[in-house]
Amino acid sequence: MDAPRIVLGVIGADCHSVGNTILDAFFTEAGFHVVNLGVMVSQEEFLDAAVESDAAAVLVSSLYGHGLIDCEGLRQKAVERGLERLVLYAGGNLVVGKTPFEEVERKFKALGFDRVFPPQVELAEVARLLRADIEARRN
Amino acid sequence: MDGRLLLSVDIGSTYTKAGLFRLEGEELRLLGKAVRPTTVDDLGRGFAEVRAAALAAPGLPPEAPGSAVPVYWSSSARGGLKIAAVGLTPDLTLSVARMAATSAGGKVVRAFSYELTAGDLAELAAAAPDIVLLTGGTDGGNSRVVLHNAARLAETPLPAVVLYAGNRKVRDEVAALLSGRELVTADNVMPEVGRIDIEPARDVIRRAFLGRIAEGKGLAGVAAAAGREPLPTPLAVFELVRAIGERVPGWEDFALIDMGGATTDFYSHGESFRGGEAVILRGLREPKLKRTVEGDLGLRVSAEALFRSESAFFESRLGAASPDLLGLRAHVESVSRATDLLPADDRGRRFDALLAAACVRASSLRHAGTIQRVFTPQGGFEVQRGKDLRRVKALVGSGGYLAGLSGPALLLEACAPDAADPDVRHLVPEAPACYADADSLIPLLGNLAADFPGAAARAAVAGLKPLRPAPNRS
Repeated sequence: MDAPRIVLGVIGADCHSVGNTILDAFFTEAGFHVVNLGVMVSQEEFLDAAVESDAAAVLVSSLYGHGLIDCEGLRQKAVERGLERLVLYAGGNLVVGKTPFEEVERKFKALGFDRVFPPQVELAEVARLLRADIEARRN
Repeated sequence: MDGRLLLSVDIGSTYTKAGLFRLEGEELRLLGKAVRPTTVDDLGRGFAEVRAAALAAPGLPPEAPGSAVPVYWSSSARGGLKIAAVGLTPDLTLSVARMAATSAGGKVVRAFSYELTAGDLAELAAAAPDIVLLTGGTDGGNSRVVLHNAARLAETPLPAVVLYAGNRKVRDEVAALLSGRELVTADNVMPEVGRIDIEPARDVIRRAFLGRIAEGKGLAGVAAAAGREPLPTPLAVFELVRAIGERVPGWEDFALIDMGGATTDFYSHGESFRGGEAVILRGLREPKLKRTVEGDLGLRVSAEALFRSESAFFESRLGAASPDLLGLRAHVESVSRATDLLPADDRGRRFDALLAAACVRASSLRHAGTIQRVFTPQGGFEVQRGKDLRRVKALVGSGGYLAGLSGPALLLEACAPDAADPDVRHLVPEAPACYADADSLIPLLGNLAADFPGAAARAAVAGLKPLRPAPNRS
């Protein structure tokens, strides 16, 4: 089977590029076909890229604390664009301040994200979950 | 090869022009020129006349038989090749498909994204395109929509050639679906999200043009007489712009505006994005060589459309509801009815100059990208979209009106900033030197640019008339 296609990018007016470069290198090495959109990516750009490349998952990064407002509506738009099976992940410093991660996770899941990750994660574990989620969504 | 003679002919909608050149070492020298009105009923007649006239140029060695001089020729007959562009998403594959079509010298008559509907197909058939450029999906990406669209095209009676330049993974399936049709294929115009690869599709469109254009009135006879198929004129110019940008020192960043009665074409050569510490490019990275064609910007056939689309500009120059604005409206009405009308008085000439200024300005604003200042928690950044023309060092005007310019003021309208939004800067040329193609050599040398790129490029630049500001009389 072809390598699973995933779209990466940093959403909104966020210019943090270091983590994005690391994710690109890691997921490529882990056997994914990565479509990396870089920084300051709009919701429309994520979805256009997912449609054209027939991506199985979109991984949204947000490091500057405004992730919640930037990510709102992304799931609905994906459904409207015919991407009903799209796996959606969010990760990074998703909200400003010292909000407990459980609270952050709950909010993002309410927005339709399948998984939510704090700033520090074991990437190998993320890759394993991602493969499983893509596989499950396919069937 | 020294001393070899070459004849170049361009069949325009109004005039048929010819130039006789001698290839001396690495340089092309113009020996003679001829112009005749285009003979619309039989293009071959005007072609034969202009050819004979150019070959009668003094200085031609008497022993050279004219019939042995190779003829390179182009034609803008039929208004160019009509292309319908089909893509998946409007901002990605459809946008790239449009770019491929205009770069190949074609005119995009219809554009569709996502699945073609019955209504789209009816519109498509009504537009009667020469080529349907079918794209969609990155390589290995979405295939459902292109397969759907190929199947719909297969069941629609269309005389057009279908060019498939979409997701490579399903190329064979698309070919099978369209097996009853005239089908050509090329590499995907967007193999990866954001990566543009329009050259292969452009090349196929160019070859399709050769087959199609010869069906114009009398062109088959011309092709037989010339022993060579024609180029579409905009493609000849495109190749010349490439040759100049690549081969003439100091001309890496330049632009050319070709303005006619019906359209304004804007060509640019130069790096589209230069990066920088706090500049971020959004959207597609545009190619170094770019052509845009504006069907609503023209001095005659499109004058009504121009008057409507640039009404704000005309009001700002003449004053809203001023007598001059009403005068301009009357002028537009008369020239768009009698398209070969030349203004008889100063007032008419002033109106023509204003229409030309509007075309130059709008075509530049549409060709150029923008830069927007944004404030983020990490500080101020600049977001660029589209192509940066600020470093354009030379700006060339060609085509009837612009070829006749005597000063730079009108071309410098291309640098006028658009004041509508103070936070958005248009990346138009900043301080170009201006030139006019006074001898109308651009299309003629364009015909020679594929075989003799260096010589044609140098001859084109050497043949331009520099437009300097009038000396201050005070």
